[in-house]
Amino acid sequence: MRFLRIWTAKIIGLLTQKRQDHEFDEEIQAHLHDLTERYRRQGMSRADAATAARRQFGNVTLLQETQRAQRSFLSPSEWWGDIRFGMRMMMKKPGSNAAVIIALALGIGMNVAVFSFVNALLLRPPAVVGGMGSLLEIWEHSRVSTGVQSYLPFTYPDYAYYRDHSRSLQGVLAFDGDGSQAIWNRSGEGQVVRGELVSGNFFSLLGVNATLGRVVSPGDDQLVSPRSVIVVSRAFWQQQLGADPGIIGRTLVLNGAAFNVIGVAPPGFAGLLVGSAPDFWAPLTLQQQFTQDKDRLTDRHSSWLIVAGRLRPGVDKATAQAEMHVLAHQLELDHSDSNKNLDVLVYPATLVPGPYRGYVTAFTGLLLGVFVLVLLIACANAASFLLARGTGRVREMAIRSALGAGRARLIRQMLIESLMLSSIAGLTGVALAWWIAHLLLQLKPATIPITLAVPLDWRVMVFALLVSFATGIIFGLVPALRSAAVETAAALKEETQSAGLRKSRLRSILLIGELATCVVLLAGATLCVRSLMHANSIDPGFDTSHIAVATLDPGTLGYSPEKVSAFYRQLMDHVRALPGVTAASYVSHLPLGTAQDSTSVGKHIGHDPDQVMVDVYRVNPGYFATMGIRLEGGRDFTQDESENPEPGVVIVNAVLAQKLWPGQDPIGKRVALGGAKATSEIIGVVKAGKYRTLGEGPVAVVYRGTLPPDRTLVIRTSGNARPLLDELRRTVQMVDPMMAATGSQTIEEYMALPLFPARTTGLLLGASGILAVVLTAIGLFGVIAYVVSQRTHEIGIRMALGARQTDVLKLVMRQGLFVTSVGLLIGLAGAIAAAQLLAPLLYGIGANDPATMTAVAVAVTAVAMLACYVPARRAARVDPTVALRYE
Amino acid sequence: MGEKKSDVLQGTLDLMVLKTLHAMGPLHGFGIARRIEQLSEDVLQLNEGTVYTSLLRLQQQGWIESKWGTSENNRKARFYSITRLGKKQLDLETENWERIAGVIGRVLRLERQG
Repeated sequence: MRFLRIWTAKIIGLLTQKRQDHEFDEEIQAHLHDLTERYRRQGMSRADAATAARRQFGNVTLLQETQRAQRSFLSPSEWWGDIRFGMRMMMKKPGSNAAVIIALALGIGMNVAVFSFVNALLLRPPAVVGGMGSLLEIWEHSRVSTGVQSYLPFTYPDYAYYRDHSRSLQGVLAFDGDGSQAIWNRSGEGQVVRGELVSGNFFSLLGVNATLGRVVSPGDDQLVSPRSVIVVSRAFWQQQLGADPGIIGRTLVLNGAAFNVIGVAPPGFAGLLVGSAPDFWAPLTLQQQFTQDKDRLTDRHSSWLIVAGRLRPGVDKATAQAEMHVLAHQLELDHSDSNKNLDVLVYPATLVPGPYRGYVTAFTGLLLGVFVLVLLIACANAASFLLARGTGRVREMAIRSALGAGRARLIRQMLIESLMLSSIAGLTGVALAWWIAHLLLQLKPATIPITLAVPLDWRVMVFALLVSFATGIIFGLVPALRSAAVETAAALKEETQSAGLRKSRLRSILLIGELATCVVLLAGATLCVRSLMHANSIDPGFDTSHIAVATLDPGTLGYSPEKVSAFYRQLMDHVRALPGVTAASYVSHLPLGTAQDSTSVGKHIGHDPDQVMVDVYRVNPGYFATMGIRLEGGRDFTQDESENPEPGVVIVNAVLAQKLWPGQDPIGKRVALGGAKATSEIIGVVKAGKYRTLGEGPVAVVYRGTLPPDRTLVIRTSGNARPLLDELRRTVQMVDPMMAATGSQTIEEYMALPLFPARTTGLLLGASGILAVVLTAIGLFGVIAYVVSQRTHEIGIRMALGARQTDVLKLVMRQGLFVTSVGLLIGLAGAIAAAQLLAPLLYGIGANDPATMTAVAVAVTAVAMLACYVPARRAARVDPTVALRYE
Repeated sequence: MGEKKSDVLQGTLDLMVLKTLHAMGPLHGFGIARRIEQLSEDVLQLNEGTVYTSLLRLQQQGWIESKWGTSENNRKARFYSITRLGKKQLDLETENWERIAGVIGRVLRLERQG
């Protein structure tokens, strides 16, 4: 408390320095004048009286100086002097200083880069939206399940209930979380655009106004005869509509229906959800125009809405939550089938939806933790470098202290020097971070419809500043305290060796810490990289080359089922005729993607104890051949079977066959699919693969015919799949100018999606491991080299007394290896503990993989030995005569 | 030999200044120096400038405050006065001082006996 008061006074002092100097001057002059008067009254001459007064008062200049220092922190000229001196010291040894700066910059840069993602995902409020503080996100939550799966988006009827009954919220808005794709008829050619369906109060509750025209209003969003209107995004208006100021009132044809453009959203506005950047917003009640499910507005089982509400003034979150519990209970009573066990939870609104926030925080927190460790290694390096330099500057410190510099003054000088190093490193680090963030964004598969802005805004800058400052203090404080604790008399007698031993022990401790941290990081990195290699080599059950895929959805154009079938038939004929194409087929959705469809399967209709859950894929003939999925028995579908709504035949994968009929031939057996009125015959068995994630265990799968209007086209080619993509686009346009394929890509590009988490983690942790090893090696090398240079004299004597080169080599190596082995042991213990955290991210290897740990230990030892060997050899080559003459 | 001054401890000077202001009411720096000189009967000789260091220190702690006014000989002067916080601190320090002085006195007496 008292400390705080003094600092406040000092800060005020700093701001009012000039005036206070002047006032203090006046005060002193008055005092001196009064003293002089007194002596004159005692009978002294004017000159004598003035001298006596000064003697009694003391040194005026010194007093002014101390007052200034006491009043504020330091005079600016002194700061400037220290900084200039620091710069001179830095320029003296540009090489080693640059090395320290680069190491620190890498450490700071990686931290800032990771933090810029934390900021983009968790800290940054959605652009343009006002009053985030009173905005709550609302999720339905199932009491009977756990994890992310327990959180559900809202159904429309539930949303309407909360909207109409909540008292604590002044309004409740909703939008479709997955977004809606539409085909825009752009003067006769189809182009895919992304939209978001929003409730009529969406814009007004968020406090967002149109820059041109108006936003969607509750009047547009009516259950009965909704208005076909859209608000376009600023980017879409500029890039696709030529920034036409007369766009309001014009119509765009989306999915074959006309929509009136009523407004242009403000620049930067992209809704409430991270990663989404819609081209347009349309009223929720137009849902039928954008999806296949025609009854989402009444269906009590279709969860598709992300809901948020704004608190009434004076109401807090707890009150709103309490009210939501009551409303949820009421709904549970009213709709015991659909709303059983459904509660509602509220979260402060941010870009990442509440249920996922914990996972994002944990993941980015883990990364940040890893890179803080890397930065600490860099700090330890910088500290031991400064310690070494400190011993070289003992005389300088002794002279300064002999000339009257206090301990605090010396510490300040040293800290300024280390802070200068860290600020230069910080600046370089920010530049690095910008580059690294861009690099990381490029890892994101281009086909994921996610746009993530990672701005280096003020939050990132403040973080960079704090990290740089903390870094400077952390690595500078111990060397600074050491330098200031100089024994002046001894140091001035040119005995610079005296303090050597204690300081090198401190450096040994730093090194042990560095080595231990390095082992932990390297072990984590190796585990991740090995897991990445595993993931790459995991057999997904289908071929991952020579295949092109594309998604099509003619259903959105409002085509009749006959027209849809005709389109697909025509397209298939054209595709099969393309050069190089050896096979092609359709599938409802690809495995390892975001879409899933599942049902239960039993041996007979009705209750069945053997019932298992299976994933369902709907395929056309030729799918297995195209994807390279081996048929282990039986046969493929025929064209008739795949088009017949009730074909009575299915194909299963080996996992299901094994589960239902272990050791038997499943061909010809019958299964009952969930909800079906008749059993189906198994006509084929295919090899099992991976369906949801690459790391999963065996998953049972059923393949059926009868594809929905939205399908994925898979094409197998004998050559490179890439040139096929352009051909494919042209072919789709040729068959139907209004159609456009989305997500047309090679299978390699497609596989980037399931591999994305492993690849990003692998890359980042790999980088951290390599950085850690390099930094530690440099640190070890530097310290051993320094010790050798300090002991040159001693080594010379030993050799003169008969020590051989190998003895000297052993002597130096022993010191380095002792440090290494202690660091290694501590590090391995830490690594085993830390690996538990990584376990859920790893594919195919255990967290305590002995091979990894051994490899890391061997690698670190080898690097350490090399780092010791080079200076040790130099020591062994010391010429005794030279070493002894060097006094 | 006769020139030897008793060292005035920093904390002691602060305590004296605080007590002076408490006893005499608002004073300027010159007045405080005179008062201390008078009371100490030349046992303590100090550079009067250090009074100002003490004054600034006390002010930063919030124990005294200052105001510009006119001195008895009609000159502009800065007057210092003790604050409520300062009075509390003075009580505390006085008590401390007496306790320490008591202890030291006892120790010294003990030495004389032995």
